[in-house]
Amino acid sequence: MGVILGGLTLVIVGLVFFVVPPAEGLGYYVRIAFFHIPVAWVAVIAFLVSAFQGAKYLRGHELAADAKSAAAAQLGFVFVILATVSGAIFSKLTWGAYWNWDPRQTTIFVLLLIYGAYLTLRGAMPAGHKRARAAAVYSLFSFLTVPFLVFIIPRLYFSLHPSPVLNGSGLAMDHLMLAVLLAALVDVTGIFYWLHKKQAARLMQEGERL
Amino acid sequence: MKSSLWQAVKLVFVKEFTVGMRFKAAWAAMFMFALTTLACVSLALQGGGLEPKLSAALLWIIIFFASMAGADRVFADEDTAGTLLTLKLYGGAQPVLWGKMLYTFFLLLVLSFFIAPLFLVLTGTEAVAGGVFLLTLFLGTAGLAAAGTLLAALTTGAQVKSGLFSVLMLPVILPVFLPAIFLTAAAFGAGEVPVSFLGGMALYDAILAMGASVLFDYLWYED
Repeated sequence: MGVILGGLTLVIVGLVFFVVPPAEGLGYYVRIAFFHIPVAWVAVIAFLVSAFQGAKYLRGHELAADAKSAAAAQLGFVFVILATVSGAIFSKLTWGAYWNWDPRQTTIFVLLLIYGAYLTLRGAMPAGHKRARAAAVYSLFSFLTVPFLVFIIPRLYFSLHPSPVLNGSGLAMDHLMLAVLLAALVDVTGIFYWLHKKQAARLMQEGERL
Repeated sequence: MKSSLWQAVKLVFVKEFTVGMRFKAAWAAMFMFALTTLACVSLALQGGGLEPKLSAALLWIIIFFASMAGADRVFADEDTAGTLLTLKLYGGAQPVLWGKMLYTFFLLLVLSFFIAPLFLVLTGTEAVAGGVFLLTLFLGTAGLAAAGTLLAALTTGAQVKSGLFSVLMLPVILPVFLPAIFLTAAAFGAGEVPVSFLGGMALYDAILAMGASVLFDYLWYED
């Protein structure tokens, strides 16, 4: 699977750099979007997976579900950092500032805080069912922020949108761009799935050794 | 059944209050933290005025971190004293959670109503919309109590406690914290009061309390 994903990644990188035309108003800066959008998508998916596996642990008390929840959060943390950094660079290039608390920046930052808090909690407790239970409860409790991030944050920060680039009708993309973006989404989601499987297995082995 | 639950909640609340009055550690830590921080802000200002938005943010930062100094002890103190197991034997999850949540709410409400007038006096801030300000304090502390009680139970078994509670609390409480700052700024004269935010805060407080209630059972009843 790793080889297929590696090949697909190379093809997408080639398409982004040599085939995809510059976007209107953004020029070649649009290349960042082909990296930024998929990693941000996976950062959110990882949050859902972590909460779902947390709920599964609370129902079945199986440490495998806890390992999957932790693996999703660990990967989610890496992806959310990548999304934050690439978003900040995109923001600097298009809006002139790395950070201006745009609703999406705020959302991704809250997600970063949640992942950080979840991993800090796990780090502060000895391995076992007590940690698994606490982590699952936190994962689900922090999931309650989702309606706030989706519905309320845009109302709080609506005035901080200097440009409709990301908040209007979206990026003006032709069919080729859209196809490459969808391929990038599939590729990065696949990378997450592959890494998640490996990391969950590793965490399970670690747990069994303890 | 409902009345017996309420009786049990009341018993837990009275127990918390009695123990809190006897040892006063949580009260002293919170009030002294709030007072010290406020004194620092006031000293730094040297009588100079503050923008309403900055005033509101400072006030809520003081309330947030002061509450962190006391609200995290609600289960940890029981664990240290060795009474947590007894409480588990005699108390059901829901009466314990709601009793402790009610007590934390009471504690934070007293803290807020202690620090807010002092803040206004020492920073020279004026509350133009007093009613909105009071309601915001009420709803803000309710949210802090709802999330704080569950997270306090969560961190009981942690080996490293220092700072953990605040780290866990901030992302969860942001939906209450941010509208509270906006409303307080408006109450201090930073523009029109976004009244709908009060409804949003109340709704999120209820979501946090319900979420805590559902999830607390998993923490309380171990295998």
